[in-house]
This record gives sequence, structure tokens and C-alpha cells, in this order.
Amino acid sequence: MTRGVNPKVEPGRVMELEHAVIDEMDISGHWNRMFEQRVIFDYDVEKLDDVTVLDGGESMGWCYQCAQCVPVCPVDHVGSYGPRKIYRNLQLGIDLFTHDDLWLCTTCANCLRVCPKEVDMLQIMPAVRTEAVLNGNVPAELQDVFEKTARYGNPLGKNPKRRAAWTRGLDVEVPLISELGRKVDVLWWVSDYPSYHPRGIDASRALARVLTYLGVDFAILGAEEHHDGDSMLRAGEAGLFEMLAEHNIAALDQYEFDVLLTTDPHAYNAFLHEYPARGGTYDVAHYTQFLAERIEALGLTEEIGRTITFHDPCYLGRHNGEYDAPRDLIGALPGAELVEMWRSRENGYCCGGGGGGMWLDGLAADNQSMRLSEKRVLEAVETGADTLCVVCPYEVSRFEDAVKSTNNDGNLAVLDIAELLAMALGLATD
Amino acid sequence: MSSNRVVVIGGGPAGLEATALAARLGSEVTLVEKRPELGGTPIAENYAALTHGFQSAEDLVGRLIADATGSPAVEVRTGAEVTAVSGAGGDFAVSVSSGGDEDQVAAGAIVLATGFQHFDPGRETQQYGYYEFPDVIALQDAEAMLKAESFVTPSTGRPPERVAFIQCVGSRDRQIGNEYCSKVCCGISSKQAIEVRQQVPDARVFIFYIDMRMYGYWENEIYWPAQEQHRVNYVKGIVTEILAKNGRLLIRGEDTTMGRPMEVPMDVVVLAVGMEPSQGTRTMADLLGLATNKYGFVETVHDTLDTVTTNVPGVFVCGSVTGPCDLDDAISSAGAAGAKAVAFLRAGAGVPA
Repeated sequence: MTRGVNPKVEPGRVMELEHAVIDEMDISGHWNRMFEQRVIFDYDVEKLDDVTVLDGGESMGWCYQCAQCVPVCPVDHVGSYGPRKIYRNLQLGIDLFTHDDLWLCTTCANCLRVCPKEVDMLQIMPAVRTEAVLNGNVPAELQDVFEKTARYGNPLGKNPKRRAAWTRGLDVEVPLISELGRKVDVLWWVSDYPSYHPRGIDASRALARVLTYLGVDFAILGAEEHHDGDSMLRAGEAGLFEMLAEHNIAALDQYEFDVLLTTDPHAYNAFLHEYPARGGTYDVAHYTQFLAERIEALGLTEEIGRTITFHDPCYLGRHNGEYDAPRDLIGALPGAELVEMWRSRENGYCCGGGGGGMWLDGLAADNQSMRLSEKRVLEAVETGADTLCVVCPYEVSRFEDAVKSTNNDGNLAVLDIAELLAMALGLATD
Repeated sequence: MSSNRVVVIGGGPAGLEATALAARLGSEVTLVEKRPELGGTPIAENYAALTHGFQSAEDLVGRLIADATGSPAVEVRTGAEVTAVSGAGGDFAVSVSSGGDEDQVAAGAIVLATGFQHFDPGRETQQYGYYEFPDVIALQDAEAMLKAESFVTPSTGRPPERVAFIQCVGSRDRQIGNEYCSKVCCGISSKQAIEVRQQVPDARVFIFYIDMRMYGYWENEIYWPAQEQHRVNYVKGIVTEILAKNGRLLIRGEDTTMGRPMEVPMDVVVLAVGMEPSQGTRTMADLLGLATNKYGFVETVHDTLDTVTTNVPGVFVCGSVTGPCDLDDAISSAGAAGAKAVAFLRAGAGVPA
């Protein structure tokens, strides 16, 4: 796919009048350029059939244009998008397999929540993307991440041997399960960004301290842990997902543990819904769920004096129905007030990172007036909160960038719940 | 003196059901039908599969005919017309003309079941060229081809590649004077669209609509399967005009959900014509002195609580005499009309109804 040139504009459809004056304003030349043929000359519905024939693509043909999906589609708020429009475009003969629209969906699941026909973009998008990937029609930035993940086991392209490097110099012990040589109560699935990204590492170190404070018998996999693959599957790299799942299941098979504790809601989703069919069945918990059950044992004492708003991760909330655990933890923070954004819980607005969006910043910039993360940060600022609490490792970096790009530096701190808990326990910070 | 006879005017589905019910309740019935055969519009206009359940119109109407004519209390007069009615409820004298002969039938009550006719898409403000282009057809024309299992482009005799249905032809139109919705055309078009896809699998089928009115179970039984399984394409925005271009029909309209004009070639265009009161309904309503609405359909004494009793005591109506309805509703109102006609006779004879 050629990047830099918007592929949905066919050269024959660019129209430009040499001389044009409207309302006494001269709009000659490129000022009057139109990128779409106005008249519809045909309905080439074969393009729609190309989608509905796919396993998982069937429900694309079910849309009856009620348009309930559009107001809750996060992408439509920063561009023109939504399942209803994708259906119409397919009826009009637009080839979704080579179109930017294919990559804008973050698989946030808010459309499916409201769709009376159960048009399921969570099945459709991966199905079409898988075809596009097989045909090499992948945005270069995403292809780069696929390749890094295949090669290094993490989408950041970091040295896999240094996956546990974040534990060095920490004032608490984070053992590798391979070195313990025994069963543990909790095997902590740390994930990529918490292992490698500087702000992710801050949250990991805070969580390690909190788990230690609670006296939890835990360990990590270290270099044996590879990317969970969930977002690769949503982004259409089904083969890569299978490879990662196979590796991870084999890695986990070596060890005994009661609970698989995940930092990342995407990993949580994969372990709940994808791994069991491939032989990997675990008692999996998101860290907010694990900690919310231990609020009394935590005995939080330090006043933190913050007004906090909370962002629901799509893959914890809508995908898996967990809205209360993070809120219970925020509610237990001494001196913290929770103020909700106007779109929260079931209707939470997506950060833009899901479904491959984490690695499609360039494509989003080409097609959207702002990033979803920026839209969300503006909503957070609007609440009057001084802190945006997150519980998904995709979000700290996305929202911190958005705080800066929307000129809200100093107005809003982005903190993982683990960091807030560590503060309320008076534990050491880095 | 009062008569134990009900005269049912109209031998379509509603008239047949009213006849069968009145006879079952112990009345004598004379069924008068203008056409040489019973069965009404579904038979005369070659209906193939009925919209609700895709059942054979011939089979179902055949059952109604067998029910209505199986009783010795029923006298059937086909090829006959009611030319005059005198007397009053309980004691009508109904003049029936048949083959040049005329006689009088004494009746205590009358059930009018003279039905509807298809809107003529060539009349008035329509820009669809029904009488100009052989490949612009109406629902009943399509129905006849589907019944013969030979759905073709009429001008060439070959299977069409592209078929469009245009909804609301002759309905919902102030200029034409038919402001009402004809209720059944969305369902029939969708049913026919499914059948076209079954008979001509390579054909692309489109339905251009203002609002799809697929009430009740038609939604899940017809509309959803048409779109989901048979891949019929629904496009919101009906067609303004049909022109001929390069030997093909060009439909022009607006694709309203895209907000863009469209000019799309088609091989066959099916006009989803609505329902109007039949000539028989208009003539009989006039002859019987029945109140009618501005569209020519008969009004009943209450539009919700009594949908079969008219302003003339002893005269009851059913089916599409009162307005557009589907067959399910026609049968229901016909049963009610037959029962109320018998109740009226008994009340007149001093028998508790």
C-alpha cells in the first residue's frame, strides 16, 4: 500500500475548477478541489460480498442503517466513520481490503453494544484484516510492529533478554519463576509496555511493591514471556498470534501457579477467550480484580489529596464486564475524590490503542482531526480532575503524550492505579 | 319478515371466509362474484407465494373455496353482479344480474368483500414510464413471472443482471391523492426480491425505499432474511425518474444516507404499486349508501372497536374494502363480518345474538 497518498481518493475522482467564484470569493484552482465524484454511477456490491463471504465477516451484510453505532464510535468523533458508513461504502464498491477505513477501527466494541442487528465489527475487522495481511496490504508502521513482535516477542522491538531488567535495583524482590524452582501462588504476566516503557516500568515497580507489601507469593516469567498476541489477532496477524500463543502456553506449561495475574487487559482477554481453545486454561485475574479483593488487607492510610477521573479500558470493561474493581480501589484511596467523565463504564470512550491502533499513529493522523487519546484527555480535563487514573498499560504513554499535545501539561497527571496505591501505602517511589 | 340469508358480495379471500363462517353459524349464504371464478385478486392476478410464509396462493385460496362452497347452505353465483339493493336491514331485496338474467335474493344481512385494485402506475404524476418501457413492470407482473418460474427482462426474454424495486408507487402521495401507506408492498417487494435471487442467482437485486414498513413478523421472516441470507441490497431514497440510456434503464434518485445523487443502470424495474378501492368497492359502496373516506374506502362505525359494521344497519364490510390490508388481516376481519352479520339476523328474529 502506498502511504502518504490517501488511497481512498482515486485519481479520476479529484476534481478541480480552474476558475470558480462563489459569494464573491475566488476559490479557483486547488481551493475548490473535491475528492469525491458526486454522482453514484453504480452499486458494485461484489465488494460487500467479498467481506460477507469471510468467516467472521457475515454480519457486515446485516446493517439496516439505523446508525446507532455512529454516535458511539470513537473514531467518528474525530473523522467520518462507523460501521453504518463502512457498510454503505461497501455497497458503493469501495474495496475495504485496501482502504484506510480497515485500520481505523480500534475494536472498542461500543458499536456492538448498541447494534440491534448484532453487526459484529470484532469479528469483521480481524477477518478482513487477516485477508489484507495475507495480501500484503498492511500499513508499513503496523507491518514493522508485526515484524518486531515476531522477531523479539514484543512490539517495541526491545531485547527479549532484558524483559525483566525493570526489576533491577528495586527495593523489593521480583523473582523469576524459573529460578525459584517451585510452585507460586501468583504468576504475574507483566506484559510488554510494563516491562520496557519507562512509564510502564514505573507502574510495574509500584505494583511489585504493593504485592510485596501484601505478602503475596509471586513470581514473573521474565524472558520466557512473549507478547500475549491479542492485539495482533485484532489487527489481522492471526498467524503471529498462533505463534505467540503456542510459545506462551508452552512457557506456562513448565510451571505451577494458582493465579495468572495480568497487568494488561488485552492479555487478560486473550487468556480468557483465546488461549483455552489452544490448550491454555488458567485462573486469570486482572491486577485490579486481585487487589480489589484485598482492599482491607491493604489498609491504605496516606492521604493522597487528589481529584481522580478514571478511564475504562475497552478490553477490561466492555469486552469483559469489569467496571467496579478499579473504582473500588480508587474509592479506597484516602483523600481521593472520583469524578466520572461523561462517557464512562459501558459507554467509555476508547483511548485509540486497541485493535492495532497502538501502532497506527501515522494512519490515524492522516484520517482523523485528533487522536482518540487527545479527545479523551480533553474530557478528563473537563471534569476538573487533577489525575487521570489508568489500569491498562497501553494508556499511560498514550495519555501522557496527549496531555502534552493538548497543552495540558501540569493540569492533569496520568497515573496507574498501582502508583496511586503505592502512594496511599507510603511506599517508596523511584 | 326477516330472512335467515346473508348475501356476501365478492368471492375473494375475505368473501370466502365470511361465507364459510356465516354458514357454519347456521345461516344460508348467497355468495355473489363478478368474475367467472372464485378466488379474487390473488388468483386473478397470478399471485404465486404469499408474503407471509411463502405459501402457495393457489393452495390457500383453494382451501378457502373448499370451506366456503362445501356447505349445502351456500349458494355460489359467479359471473354475477349485484345491481340494486332495496329494503332495510333484516329484510333486504338484493337484485343479482347474471348472463342477462336478473333475480332478487331476499337477505337479512349483507357482507361486502369487494376488495382492492392495484394502483395503475401509468397514471398521474408518476415518472416511471410504466407504459413506455417494457422492462418497467409492477408487482403483479413480477408475480406472474415468478409464478411461471421464468423471471426475465421482458424486452429480451433473458434473465436480468440487475433488478430494482421502487417502493411507495401510488401510495403516500398527496398529488396522487393516496396519502395512506398500502401496508403490504414493502413485504411483497422483499418477498419477490428473495424469489428473484432464488430463481436468478446471478442477479443483483436492489430495493429503493423511503421507509421500510415491515411490520410484525415480516421484519424477521422476510426483511432480515432478504438482506442477510439472500443479499438483497436496500438503499434509502426512492427513484425520481426512469430514463432510457444505451438500451438500458437508468434510474435517477438520491442515495439519501450518502447524500449523493445516483444514476444507476438496471435491467428490470419493479414498481411496488399500492392498493386502491376496487371499482366494485366504489360501485357497491355507492349503491348501498355506505359512508366512505376521501380515498373511496368504506368507513366503519368505529375505526378501532368495530372494524366491520357500517353506517347502514345490516351491512358489514371486510378485507380491503375498508383500506389496505394483508391477507392475514383480511381473513380476520372477514370472520368478524360473517359472525356479526349472523348476530344481526338473530337479533332481528328475536333470537339472542
